[in-house]
Amino acid sequence: MPTATTQARVAVLSPVHALVPVFASPSSAGPHWRVSKIASSRLGAARAMHLCAVVVGREREFILARCATPIRSGVWQRWQVQRLSAAARTGSGPDRLQQPRQLRTAEPIAALRSTTFLRTRLRGALSTDLDLDLDLGHPSPSLLPRELVATMAVSPMVLYPTDALQNANIRAVSSPLKNASSAQASSNGTPAATVVPNAAAAVQSTSLDIAEQLNEDEKRKYVKGKKLGEGTYANVYLGHLRNDPSQLVAIKKIKVQKEYTEGMAPDAVREIKHLQELSHPNIITLHTVFSSKDQNLNLVLEYLPLGDLEMLIRDEKGVHYGAADMKAWIGMLTRAVWFCHENFVLHRDIKPNNLLIAADGEVKLADFGLARSFSDPYKPMTSNVITRWYRPPELLYGVKHYSGAVDIWSVGCVIAELVMRAPFMPGNTELEQINLICLRLGTPTEENWPGVTKLKEYTTGDTVTPVPTKTQYQQWGFGALGNEGVDLLMKTLRLDPKKRITAREMLDHEYWSTDPKPTRLKDLPRKAGGEEKLGADLKRPPGMVDESRGNKVARKLDFGAAN
Amino acid sequence: MATEDARYRTSSQFRLWSFTPAHLSSLRAENNHLAKAAISARLQSSVPPVDHLPEFLTSEEELSLLNFYTVELLRAAAFLELPTDIRATAAVFLRRFYITNSIMTYPPTELLKTCLFFGCKSEGYFMRLSKFAEKFPNTSGEVVLAAEYVLCQGIRFAFDVRHPFRALEGAIMELRRLGDFDAKRVDRAHGRTREILKFSPLVTDAYFHYTPSQIMLAALSMADEGLVQRMLRDAFAGQGEAEKENVWSVIQSARELLEREPPERMTEYWGSQETNRSMKPLIKKLKKCRDPDRVDLVALQKARRQQAEQKKPKPTLKDDTAIFGGAVDDREAKRRKTAANGDDPFGPSLG
Repeated sequence: MPTATTQARVAVLSPVHALVPVFASPSSAGPHWRVSKIASSRLGAARAMHLCAVVVGREREFILARCATPIRSGVWQRWQVQRLSAAARTGSGPDRLQQPRQLRTAEPIAALRSTTFLRTRLRGALSTDLDLDLDLGHPSPSLLPRELVATMAVSPMVLYPTDALQNANIRAVSSPLKNASSAQASSNGTPAATVVPNAAAAVQSTSLDIAEQLNEDEKRKYVKGKKLGEGTYANVYLGHLRNDPSQLVAIKKIKVQKEYTEGMAPDAVREIKHLQELSHPNIITLHTVFSSKDQNLNLVLEYLPLGDLEMLIRDEKGVHYGAADMKAWIGMLTRAVWFCHENFVLHRDIKPNNLLIAADGEVKLADFGLARSFSDPYKPMTSNVITRWYRPPELLYGVKHYSGAVDIWSVGCVIAELVMRAPFMPGNTELEQINLICLRLGTPTEENWPGVTKLKEYTTGDTVTPVPTKTQYQQWGFGALGNEGVDLLMKTLRLDPKKRITAREMLDHEYWSTDPKPTRLKDLPRKAGGEEKLGADLKRPPGMVDESRGNKVARKLDFGAAN
Repeated sequence: MATEDARYRTSSQFRLWSFTPAHLSSLRAENNHLAKAAISARLQSSVPPVDHLPEFLTSEEELSLLNFYTVELLRAAAFLELPTDIRATAAVFLRRFYITNSIMTYPPTELLKTCLFFGCKSEGYFMRLSKFAEKFPNTSGEVVLAAEYVLCQGIRFAFDVRHPFRALEGAIMELRRLGDFDAKRVDRAHGRTREILKFSPLVTDAYFHYTPSQIMLAALSMADEGLVQRMLRDAFAGQGEAEKENVWSVIQSARELLEREPPERMTEYWGSQETNRSMKPLIKKLKKCRDPDRVDLVALQKARRQQAEQKKPKPTLKDDTAIFGGAVDDREAKRRKTAANGDDPFGPSLG
């Protein structure tokens, strides 16, 4: 609703519409800015035209071309006019827009109640018709192409400038029909104008478009059961297939985040995006996604009842595992990470409590809330990812261009944690994390990592510690992995990401072919009580550390003194 | 069977969003039919009831409008200076959305903004909502978000779109490695193909019928057929001619589709007599026949939220059931029956 002055301005400026650059503007200052400048200066059309041409410089020729052929299409002009009025309007715009809208929604609800009778009748009639039509199937597809061809000839999409003559003929054939029918419609008046819009009616409507049908079909396939966990980010429910109750699933219902005002939360978008594409035995399966009435997202995930790796690592009294068991778990983790990287996905939050365990003992990588696709060389990425204890030095140093090597570091930390049965480097702050890395894995220097001192956030501890040798690793207790196991671990924890082993190379490592053979799935150690743990793991927001854990764990080894 | 092919078949783009042309047009026809029925019922039930129903868009007219609004979206994306990938993703979202929804049901001018905003999100390019909204006239962040949920449902939560742009970079590297051609010729083809890929596959149904590599090769053959021939000769060396011919014919049919919308049409689209003459009446028609309740997306969203908050079933509906003796249940039963018989409206996968 533009004010009188706005309208006046728009009117004054109307000849300039043709000048206002179209969207294909390559210049850095947007048309919006240009228009507002013109509008506020209240220039005449000629002056504005001049200004426009000066401001846009690079687009001058384009604009001149536009001036020569006045724009005819209504919609385009409307966009332009709207843009002008939006630009001319200052400050109070949104309020003015909202008031009438509230009135509109409140008023028809009363009207609705009184007409329930009529509506129900009609709705019943409608759905009967719909059903009948659906039963009869779609309009015969064999008819469609011809129709399509006939109308497409009128459409501008298939017209070539060169054969205008030919097209004119086609149009002449089809247009009388079209004109006749549209004339009829207008003689009937414009029915839509007499109908009071009523959004509430749309919500209650029982007619379903294809999108809603498909969503209902997905929803209907599952039955939601008891709640396994409740968190700020999501609630997790047990569920099963409607037609086969023995097939269990976990339903993760993502809550609408009150404090996040930008619509659907990025974690949910990332998780759905990547899990839809990744199908591998060591990656949690996303069966489907559906939306419920209250507009919450429901992710139907594989049911993984045996908890996570963290639970097994921590229960030192109840769970005992050896070199072969670790080899099996590390193998499954490595395959999962390899598959992600093979599909150009960085997980960016690998840690023991994101490694869930299926009923048959298979380890599955879960929680893709921080995942992203590999970036193009020129696009920066955020370095504020991966839970701190598992974060590689390059991210701590604020690197914006990184690779799959960041995930491999996390894998190395998980392997170390499996052996130690305690977090390997539990720093309480980022600075402490860097200190721990320097202390245990050596201080990053120009010798072991060319270019590291140039990184934006490069710092080290007070003293320079050399990179530990294999003997030192073995002394610390990693010898339990065997000679090859220690070699693999050392390669995953290399400071320089360029020298760090890749997932593909990890799978080719001789660790897997040396004794002992990895434990078979059914013989792997397991632990009861995984159900609650699954609930707890799935509902957690990504990238968070359970701080209480590191404090409780005794620092078992004095790494610093060893050097 | 090449493993690359097998892997592509696990993508959501293949599983959910690839159809034969016949299947696609039957989906569009059904969609159009459902929207017409729903809107007619709504208009007739309004008080006072309307005398005459408006003339509805046919599914072919919807398609013309969709193409038109896809170009609008590309122009808006260029205006926002978004990266190529995001432009393409947003355009694909819009086209997918209007396969499961009708243009008469949800307003395309609003949806294209939501597609752009959500396209940014799904490509990991998080733009501030307020910053995004202020680039458009009469657009508040609320309006952009109001359709986000509807959009996600409409695109069946398949957020990953596979584009042919990187495929082209790969093919060009391959051609340079072969070294059979003058560098200038390869460069020229490279530039032209990129131009085509940024427009033609997005304004046609190419993404629904062909794989990214097929689309890339089709565009490359539009730019320079010899280069594609050379690549195929290498790729199929030692294999049967039949297989190569098969692939070549697919590329040719993709090319025919792309040639309907050469990139020059991006600038011609506006102001051209043809466009005005065919689009104006369609837009007018749309204004008369669209769903009156779903035009205001913000109000619709508010109504949905309100309904969700009142968790207990609506007393009015209960009364209806009591009075009309299970009319609702009959309907539900019938709906279930058709759901069971109809199977997945998207049908089996491409042969």
